[in-house]
Amino acid sequence: MAVNELLAQLHEIATSPKKQLDKYLAEGKPVVLVAPVYTPNEIIHSMGIVPMGAWGADMELNEAKKYFPAFISSIVQSILELGMKGEYEGVSALIVPSLCDSLMCLGQNWKYAVKGIPYIPMSYPQNRKPAYGIKFTRAMYRRVINDLTVATGKHYSDYALKDSIKIYNEHNAVMREFAEIASTADISAAARNDVFKSAWFMLPEEHTAIVKQLNEELKAGPKAEGKVRVLVSGVLADSPSLLKIFDDNDIKVVFDDVAHESRQYRTDAPEEGDPLQAMAIKFANMDNCSFLYDKDKKRVDYIVEQAKAHDARGVIVLMTKFCDTEEFDYVPIKRACDAAGLLNLNIEVDRQMVNYEQAGTMIQAFKEMV
Amino acid sequence: MGEEVKKKSRPAPDPNSAKYKLGQIAAKAYTDAIEAKARGEMVGWCASNFPVEIPETLGLTVCYPENQAAGIAARGGGERMCNEAEGEGYSNDICAYARISLAYMKLKSAPEQDMPQPDFVLCCNNICNCMIKWYENISKELNIPMYIIDIPFNPDYEVSEDEVEYIREQFWDVIHQLEDYTGKKWSDERFKEVMQYSGRASRLWVEATSQAKYVPSPFNGFDLLNHMAVMVTARGKKEAGDAMETLLKEYKENHEKGESTFRAEEKYRIMFEGIACWPWLRVTSTGLKSRGINMVTTIYADAFGFIYDDFDGMCRAYANVPNSMNLEHSRDKRVKLCKANHVEGLLVHTNRSCKLWSGFMPEMSRQIGEACGIPVVSFDGDQADPRNFSEAQYDTRVQGLMELMEGNKGGK
Repeated sequence: MAVNELLAQLHEIATSPKKQLDKYLAEGKPVVLVAPVYTPNEIIHSMGIVPMGAWGADMELNEAKKYFPAFISSIVQSILELGMKGEYEGVSALIVPSLCDSLMCLGQNWKYAVKGIPYIPMSYPQNRKPAYGIKFTRAMYRRVINDLTVATGKHYSDYALKDSIKIYNEHNAVMREFAEIASTADISAAARNDVFKSAWFMLPEEHTAIVKQLNEELKAGPKAEGKVRVLVSGVLADSPSLLKIFDDNDIKVVFDDVAHESRQYRTDAPEEGDPLQAMAIKFANMDNCSFLYDKDKKRVDYIVEQAKAHDARGVIVLMTKFCDTEEFDYVPIKRACDAAGLLNLNIEVDRQMVNYEQAGTMIQAFKEMV
Repeated sequence: MGEEVKKKSRPAPDPNSAKYKLGQIAAKAYTDAIEAKARGEMVGWCASNFPVEIPETLGLTVCYPENQAAGIAARGGGERMCNEAEGEGYSNDICAYARISLAYMKLKSAPEQDMPQPDFVLCCNNICNCMIKWYENISKELNIPMYIIDIPFNPDYEVSEDEVEYIREQFWDVIHQLEDYTGKKWSDERFKEVMQYSGRASRLWVEATSQAKYVPSPFNGFDLLNHMAVMVTARGKKEAGDAMETLLKEYKENHEKGESTFRAEEKYRIMFEGIACWPWLRVTSTGLKSRGINMVTTIYADAFGFIYDDFDGMCRAYANVPNSMNLEHSRDKRVKLCKANHVEGLLVHTNRSCKLWSGFMPEMSRQIGEACGIPVVSFDGDQADPRNFSEAQYDTRVQGLMELMEGNKGGK
């Protein structure tokens, strides 16, 4: 299949999650929503359940305001809004990890605001690397398994998890390869995002099959020329209006540190040994993320290293409004970029945003500086 | 020209009074830290709900950035310090305590409240994950070690054995790391002593605050906002218990004599929910007092009740602080306080600085209102950034609450 056809297929999936949900339900597969940022998707998958991403949507918030004050990020608020409006009807549960203060609140509000869909908490340890942290992660995964069984009637087995880990590791590798190929291939920012976004609404084995083909086609296809090469960082970079501004201004995303995109695929679970332990070890090995305890701020060095490795001229931070977790990291990121001679831009983004004029002006000015 | 009116000078405080003793302890925490630093000793910056038993047992001097930020904000420096942090690139959406603290780290001086720069930081996220990010930035910027005890938000009502084990292991890990870094040694005997002091201070604090069960209350609840500084900074010290004993004695005497530190007729009794609006303390206090509304209780009355018998009990106690409990547990604690203290209304501070405290408060406060049959009113504010508060809105909301409480009285 040609690049355009593959991308069109992924675009269709990225923009119609409801259709995907209905498709899986029609196939008799239970679906469980997974909230940002990290959840044990391999475990969910191994139990015969489809994990589907719930990162909210670009929309006006009405119902969620009964539960959240205005200063909670619109990603979190719009997840609740969609739940309250019945958009998730048919799913068996929502898993919310404890990775930021607003996510903790989401779980508490969900219990009362969306009564038909059970909330499953996943308490992650921030001291995730020592043996006691790994033990706690494992215990909390056990709790998720029990809750999933109650919600769906599906059961867990080590055997199935081993298989799912292999499927996810292969998907991780294919997505990492895509990110590298996309850094030189002629692919728009919008299409690049479709590849990442569609992964949240598909079974990994199905997504892997398409992206593998896409990678081959892109490798053989034309290269991007004369573009402004940037690394994009943030929680989410899926706004069509914003990505259009990137493309209209010849801004080329050569790599990303986006939680919704590459951060998901950096770390594999070991394929040997006890699979549940392997899942806990995977979490322990995860790094370079604002949501994971990082006293040395290794994430900051990682961003600079990756920007240089991918020949980026600058770093664009898409700052989700009211995401204090990311806001704290911005100051050291900015300083490190300045020190490394990388141009940097901080654009505040919000799921309720309708006017992108200011963002457009900032990006134009950025381009001129380059 | 009117006649010059000489302000009456305030009488010297009675050195035997609880207010004096508590004020001295709170002030001494800063002077001790400054002196220790001058002697060349290491000084740490410590999160308010970090287990104080650890630095106290090890004999480490620590000071508390949250307490300092509140002090700076109460004395009018909040906006200046927040602006300083924002000038560095920190968003004004970030917790104002953190912004003030990050500004202080840079400026190293504030006329409102000085404290020495840290040689290490002690972080505990049982009040919010924002603490982690804040302390990471201090640690990285100053190139000093960060020690963290991670106490995850508990989605369940009770603290599980898995969580207790995770916390216990971290306690020992941090203790050993601090021993290595500071050269101080852990002593089980000293720990028992500290545990006793902390337990005694906590029990007396809980009992003193529970004196609001009397109608009228023998104290103005705004007193607690000042006195709790001692529970934050010194609950592991003997003198904290002594001062709390005096406080309890005074409140009991007030009740017996029919007196109160609430200097107005107590017409209504409310619970105040949230951190105080430190930059607007007088305004928020006067808005209540002028209407005869006494804030008789807050969750702080319960929050510093670190009462336990052994090491695991301590781990459990630190996992059961207000911002680490689920909605149902948090609600029940407040319902209990409202009922025990004959609360007639709930005034909720929707605190822009605190996402975790405010993020499920609308639903929780609805449930509290229903369970207690009391009106609930909220206002927008901030614990330390004065720009996020409107005096007019506060006044309107408090007036509304008063009218609802009056309506309830009429109906009874």
